Amino acid sequence: MKRFTCFLLSFVMTAAMLAGCGNQGEKEEKTVENVESQAEKKENDQSQSEEKEKVVVACWGNQMLDTYTQYLCDQFPEVEFEFVLATNSTDYYRFRADHDDMPDILTVRRFALKDAVLLKDYLYDLSNTELANTYYGSYLDSYTYDDGSVNWLPTCAEVDSLIINKTLFDEYNVPIPTDYASFAAACEAFEEVGIRSFVSDFEADYTCMEVLQGASIPMLQSLEGRKWRQQYESGMTNELSEEVWIPVFENFFDFKEKTGLGAEDATYPNRTPKDMFSEGKAAMFRGTGADVISFPGRGEDEVLLMPYFGQTEQDNWYLTYPTFQIAASKNGMDDPEREKLILDIMTAMVNQQGQDHISYGKNMVPYKKDVTLELMPEMDNLKPYVEQNKLYIRLASNDMFRISKDVVQMILNDEIKTPKEALDAFNKELAGEEPGTEIVAHIDTEYSNDFTPEHGNQAASSVANTIRRLSGVDLVFMQSCYVASDIYSGDYSQKDLAYLAKNDGGWPGLMELTGDQIYTLVETTFSMTGNRGAVCNDSTLYVSSGFEMDITKNDDGYTLNALTIDGKELDRSATYSFLIYGDRDWYMSDVMEKMGVTEVDIDGPKAEGYLMQCLVEQDGQLEAPSDYITMR
Amino acid sequence: MQKKKQKTKYLLPVAFAMILVVFLVLGVVFMRNSLMKLTVEERSSQLEEMVTQIQANLQSGLQTHWNLATGLNDAIQGEHFENEQELCDNIARLEKMFCTDMYGSQVMLLDAQGTGYLKDGPVGIWNDIIHLTDGKNQHTFVSETDNIDGCFLVFSQELVSPVTMGENNVRFTHVVLLKDIKTVKQYYTTMTYGGSAATYFIKSNGIMAYFDADDDDVIGARNIFKALEEVEYVQGQSFEIVTEQLDRDGIAVANIMLNKTEYYYCITTLDDYDMKLMLLIPADSVAVSTMNMMDSTIRTGVVFILAMAVLMLLAVISFIRVQQSSQMVKVEQETNRELNRLRMVAESANAAKSTFLNNMSHDIRTPMNAIIGFTNIAVKHNPPPEIKSCLDKISESSEHLLALINDVLDISRIESGKIKYTPTPVDIAEVTDSVLTIMYGYLSNRSITFRTELEEPKMRYVLTDAVRVREILVNILGNAVKFTNDGGTVTYSVSYHPAKDDRYINVRYRIADTGIGMEEEFVDRIFDEFSQEEHGARTQYKGTGLGMAITKRYIDLMGGTISVESRKGAGSTFTVELPMEIAEACEVKKKDYSVGNTDLTGLKILLAEDNDLNAEIAIVQLEELGMQITRAADGEEAVRFFAENPEGTFDLIFMDVMMPKMNGYEATKAIRCLPNRPDAVMIPIIAMTANAFAEDVQASLDAGMNGHLSKPIVMDEVVKTIAGNLDR
Repeated sequence: MKRFTCFLLSFVMTAAMLAGCGNQGEKEEKTVENVESQAEKKENDQSQSEEKEKVVVACWGNQMLDTYTQYLCDQFPEVEFEFVLATNSTDYYRFRADHDDMPDILTVRRFALKDAVLLKDYLYDLSNTELANTYYGSYLDSYTYDDGSVNWLPTCAEVDSLIINKTLFDEYNVPIPTDYASFAAACEAFEEVGIRSFVSDFEADYTCMEVLQGASIPMLQSLEGRKWRQQYESGMTNELSEEVWIPVFENFFDFKEKTGLGAEDATYPNRTPKDMFSEGKAAMFRGTGADVISFPGRGEDEVLLMPYFGQTEQDNWYLTYPTFQIAASKNGMDDPEREKLILDIMTAMVNQQGQDHISYGKNMVPYKKDVTLELMPEMDNLKPYVEQNKLYIRLASNDMFRISKDVVQMILNDEIKTPKEALDAFNKELAGEEPGTEIVAHIDTEYSNDFTPEHGNQAASSVANTIRRLSGVDLVFMQSCYVASDIYSGDYSQKDLAYLAKNDGGWPGLMELTGDQIYTLVETTFSMTGNRGAVCNDSTLYVSSGFEMDITKNDDGYTLNALTIDGKELDRSATYSFLIYGDRDWYMSDVMEKMGVTEVDIDGPKAEGYLMQCLVEQDGQLEAPSDYITMR
Repeated sequence: MQKKKQKTKYLLPVAFAMILVVFLVLGVVFMRNSLMKLTVEERSSQLEEMVTQIQANLQSGLQTHWNLATGLNDAIQGEHFENEQELCDNIARLEKMFCTDMYGSQVMLLDAQGTGYLKDGPVGIWNDIIHLTDGKNQHTFVSETDNIDGCFLVFSQELVSPVTMGENNVRFTHVVLLKDIKTVKQYYTTMTYGGSAATYFIKSNGIMAYFDADDDDVIGARNIFKALEEVEYVQGQSFEIVTEQLDRDGIAVANIMLNKTEYYYCITTLDDYDMKLMLLIPADSVAVSTMNMMDSTIRTGVVFILAMAVLMLLAVISFIRVQQSSQMVKVEQETNRELNRLRMVAESANAAKSTFLNNMSHDIRTPMNAIIGFTNIAVKHNPPPEIKSCLDKISESSEHLLALINDVLDISRIESGKIKYTPTPVDIAEVTDSVLTIMYGYLSNRSITFRTELEEPKMRYVLTDAVRVREILVNILGNAVKFTNDGGTVTYSVSYHPAKDDRYINVRYRIADTGIGMEEEFVDRIFDEFSQEEHGARTQYKGTGLGMAITKRYIDLMGGTISVESRKGAGSTFTVELPMEIAEACEVKKKDYSVGNTDLTGLKILLAEDNDLNAEIAIVQLEELGMQITRAADGEEAVRFFAENPEGTFDLIFMDVMMPKMNGYEATKAIRCLPNRPDAVMIPIIAMTANAFAEDVQASLDAGMNGHLSKPIVMDEVVKTIAGNLDR
């Protein structure tokens, strides 16, 4: 045996010496070693990944990709997170529950207990957890069902009221409003000098709903208003009361008149009023604390976040809502270790550090006893209102969003001319069937949205390939978490199709790119941090259609090795028609700047539109996924 | 053959003995299980009884506050105030008018948008307005918001006609009574479980509204119902069964395991308040005496069984030897049955004794009231000397009889644990001095030198039961005077010493006399009941023989010690040491309400008294002090008189308790609930009854009365009570 061992060793040494005789041999040896070590590393990674506990977190908005998802990955290195960008509606989770595929942790901003109660059987009861005990009782009461259970907990309060360009007011010697009369006077003064007094993105449902409610908070907050709301939220009535809502619509008509809102405003998308405000073309716009940071007027202007104005200063209120709510699925919670892990993650999501990541630490109001959030100077006005608790929490049922948009747009378009007509129109829609619920499509083949190093995210690849075919572009690049669930086989309504992908916050950016620019795009994307398109783990990687990515995963993230089309390296000098699907204001603008691209067309359909086109209008099926990624 | 016969002869008794042993073992197991079941039933029923009583207290207390809230509504509804200052001033005025601080409460007005206004100004939008929107106009709930410091039981009343303020007519929709939750404690506190009971107020959805206990919350959950669903139940119970029972009977009891400890909980519904009340108590603390009895029964049973086994063994041996032993077993069983019968007789005798004491107290005090009262009245009419002498003897004998009754009752009540030590803040020097006044009375017709050595205390204010301390000292000093012949000396010394715990001081009282002293063997028995030294002492020195026994029990109750040194013919020295907790000076209330310092002339009193003799005595004595008395012959008449007369007709009501048609408790509740009569909740109602026990006093207060006077009435106490309630 000893002799055999000695022989073997001498053979290996001889072979090694022979191998060292030529350069070519050395290079080949190194390549072999590299491949082996990479394979070994990959194996290690895989085994580590296999050991990791998988937790699926559905994110209500792409804001969470900014720093929040990275924060969770850092806090729980032993967890393999799968992040998906959910449609911001509790009904999205009804869709997931229907397919027995509830995420482990749910988040949603648009929330009403009236809607959320439908999910009660699928969600974990948080009422007796330490996490629930960290909340102020009065806030927790708002989330407590009749049987004492609590499924949802809020993070901090987003304040959403009127952002005022104080510098502009000073320039035109217009006094800062203190009540509705001075607000109306300011509107008149600005209209006289050709500056829009107040603008907002009335194309969006939430704006329509918030301005409608914001202009009448004293009425909605009155005893009669509160009684009606309690009845509505508990399902005892499903119509607007005349006593409360006729004055609300009267106020809105007056608000429309004083601010000069009209049909054109009903078409403004999210960015338009912000651009007008940033260019000094508008003196006020409806916005959040985050908008105060992002849109500080013409750059150096002083801006203030002011309340919605009432008849007297006593009637001024800020409109607020929880930035988002969190909940946990019941699945797996009977395992104490799993239960502890999920609760630990949820605790990290809403503790001081977590909320610092949500609110940038300075533009929101906490609901929890153990969290302190400092307000930035632009929000100084808010402080006395916080002390007096004059923070109105918007009534935000799914119906309220949808119908407020319809009715407010009709008022702006002069299709509805009186408060009574508005009330009747609102109540008619409330009594009617919710649109988009009938079956319109069938998907034959299901695809998983789990990421695997071998095949990437197959569901995302299928959607990206479908978008590429329908849009006619050469190449598509989208963040895979924009596909919000597995592609389930079966029947779909229009609403359900929309839930397959993230539509709010996702934009199709059409542009012409050279091969070099595409390299820059991918490299920039991988190196990006603190951005709503940032990659923090495998589930947030991008999916490519029409080209393949060869990447290496390392401790610092991901690096690009090569881009290929059908296995051949991408021609760096060739020009391709290209579609990026992702966030427009934070992600797309950053990568375009890096690539030196200025022209982009974002007017095309969103993911939902492509899915409808493919499955309903063309009565077709989604494209098959492709192996678009090689991960080393 | 002979051997086989011998074996057969032994086989039968051995087999019989083995069967008997098996039977005994099974018997022990059966007895144990039965007793365990009985224990649970006994504990449950005790707990249920206690919680029912607390529930009744609480409901009655809450109703009083509702009356107050309704009165506030009546007083302010529809008013208009010019500005915020005027509004707040009126809130302050209402608080004063309705004496809300007496109820630990403050008044808040809510405007239509939910802004709360206290007497000091606005407090912002009240977080709890969420509770006021379900369409009802009255709400009760526990509130702990960041608007107003503290935790409150809320009584919210929607104003029938809104209050308005300012030029814009800001509309106020609710008047809210915020009752400091700590002041609710009086309705549910029970010392029965040695302070180990935890009290939970639970909303109808199972969420804990308020928790109170000396220790931590062992359930530790926000959703109590969910937690109770998940805990381990003993005796095959479940939360489902508890819920069913609660829905059916309004009260349910269960025993559960929490952190490896057995607990009992009793839950009951507070009608009309959308809340439940729950008491959680460690099993060890429930029905302790019953448990001890059960334990001792089990022990006796086990000993009995063992004895039986031994007897069986002996019987078998005897059977083998004399074949007559079975008779013995029968005899033992007979004896045991007889013992059990005697035990049951003793238990029913004990129950009968309690009933007898209560009845005796009431039935003897009523005629005693008449005897003492009329004697006092007769003496005041300057009778001829020979009649006065008779009256003095009647008076002396009545007082002795009353003292005897009191002593016998006191000792019985101490034994049954009904007398509690209730420390309140007092000036200890004043307590010490007050004894001197009584002493000078004792010494007035004696030639005894009375010396005092009274140290000035560094800490004057302490927590103690001044009445008991005075009783202890007067008892010992009284004996010293009684057993010291004229020409002798009695020395009364008081000194103060630091205790181990900085929060306490030890007060040492030393009473030495040069009297007749005691035999050494009597000193050992001095604290036994009815112990009086022979040699004619009983005839020479009057007494019940219970004084020192009561004194010793009081001292034990207060955690103190008493020692005696005595020598026959040379005198006795008693040393009493009492630990007392140091109190803040401001806690001690001082006010002189003695007869001489108080003018009650012109006060209008409604006297509810069914007994003509007692009524006459009370009327004569009260009218002597210048008061105007209207008598009602029963509770119903008292309510009618009060309701039919306008506000201000009466300043105070004296209410007998045991009356025909409507008793005093019912009459008080009826007066307190009178609609549209804000004065109905304000007028002081004082019980004047022959029911003299502490629980009777508590029952009067629970019924909504402001005080309690026991018959026979002592005018000094009557004056103090009137003055204290009317702040004269």
